[in-house]
Amino acid sequence: MTWKRYQNELIALIAFVFMLIAYGYKTTQVSSQAQGIAGAKHSVEEIQEVISLQKIWADTKTSKKVEKLQTLVPASKITWSNKNKKVTASYKNLTARELNTLVTKILNVPVEIEKLKIQKVASSYDVEFKCKW
Amino acid sequence: MNFMGNTKELLLVHPSMKPVSLTEAVNVMLPPQFYTLKKEALPLRYAYQAKKIAPSLFDGLLEAGSHYEYMVWKEDEAWVFLAYDIEKITAFLESKGFALEHVSKLFFAQQSVDLFDKPLFLGEHDALVSLDHIVVVVPRGALTQEDGSSLLFNNRFTPKKGIVLSGAYGSVLSLKQASMLAAIFILFALMFFVEGSRYSDDSETGEAKMQELISAYPALQSKYTRDSILTKYKAIDTAERKKREIVKMVSGMLFKGVTLSSLEIDAKSFKVHFTCKDAQVAKRLTLLATKNKLKTSAISGSHDLKIEGTL
Repeated sequence: MTWKRYQNELIALIAFVFMLIAYGYKTTQVSSQAQGIAGAKHSVEEIQEVISLQKIWADTKTSKKVEKLQTLVPASKITWSNKNKKVTASYKNLTARELNTLVTKILNVPVEIEKLKIQKVASSYDVEFKCKW
Repeated sequence: MNFMGNTKELLLVHPSMKPVSLTEAVNVMLPPQFYTLKKEALPLRYAYQAKKIAPSLFDGLLEAGSHYEYMVWKEDEAWVFLAYDIEKITAFLESKGFALEHVSKLFFAQQSVDLFDKPLFLGEHDALVSLDHIVVVVPRGALTQEDGSSLLFNNRFTPKKGIVLSGAYGSVLSLKQASMLAAIFILFALMFFVEGSRYSDDSETGEAKMQELISAYPALQSKYTRDSILTKYKAIDTAERKKREIVKMVSGMLFKGVTLSSLEIDAKSFKVHFTCKDAQVAKRLTLLATKNKLKTSAISGSHDLKIEGTL
């Protein structure tokens, strides 16, 4: 029966505890919302990254772009082999200008460079190039 | 079984009673010595209106310096006003051995006036009787023979409405203050709950963009697929960007007096051979390489420089 002596305080205390619980609920919701937003943002960024990576490295037009590497210099200077999305090319006697054009083009084609060898022979350049995609 | 009714024992107290020793809660009925009564036929409709004017009705009738509280109810056409001093009542109850926490509710004899059809003896000298529908204390000697034996006092005298004593003593807060505080806390609690539920609704909107992307690229719905694609292409992307950076760096290091003798890049490493015209050019090239965080090594017997590294 002692609690009856403090019945009024008890009423206020219960209401206060109720308020604390409500505050806890709100805080939990705020933090879970922040986590949810962060999670969703991360997922969106991840998906966007996957999409952009796929667009670059799984581009269906890559084969055509690679084929253009044959047309940059006279055919007599090129030995070309293309099998199963793998190219082995050998360029001989390239001028400095031809070398610049070829290297710039190679750098802009989204392929995996397996080998790029540039060798100066007298005043011209020989290039060996292997790539896949 | 009586779930709703008041099952506590009702005790009638009076100044000449013997002290009591209570082990459980009781209700207490107070005789007219503990209150001042007034009946007035007033054109009032509600009890709260009557309670509001109660202090003015007792002007000059009550002891100065005491703190009175009021109870009102309607009896037929008249309003009954009852003034009592709770401190005086609790002091009396304590003097008779009542532990206040054992006193559940206080009632006034006037509330059960209808049941006083016979005198109710209070000790050896006094009795409670109803005169003109008002309970009063009279000396037992004033009673006639016709009045006979005392009225049996029991729980049937318990009125519906009583005064809750607990909370009126020992507490730091009054019931009114406690109720106000509780109301404020509950109001805040409700605000927090509403706000919290709004936050939980909002968090769902963050996923809308993801759903939009997933519907455009259904193959990426699975996290496993996404991770697998990401691992594959990120490794390729990092390695290939590095290879291209090396080539760009090398071309940036070519200036007058420097010739590229050879450059070799494979999947894991790179090698560059520069031919320099003289030592000054070689020094400048070394500085440029250091700026690009590349390590150079001189080739003996010439001004040529070699740069090697891993990807």
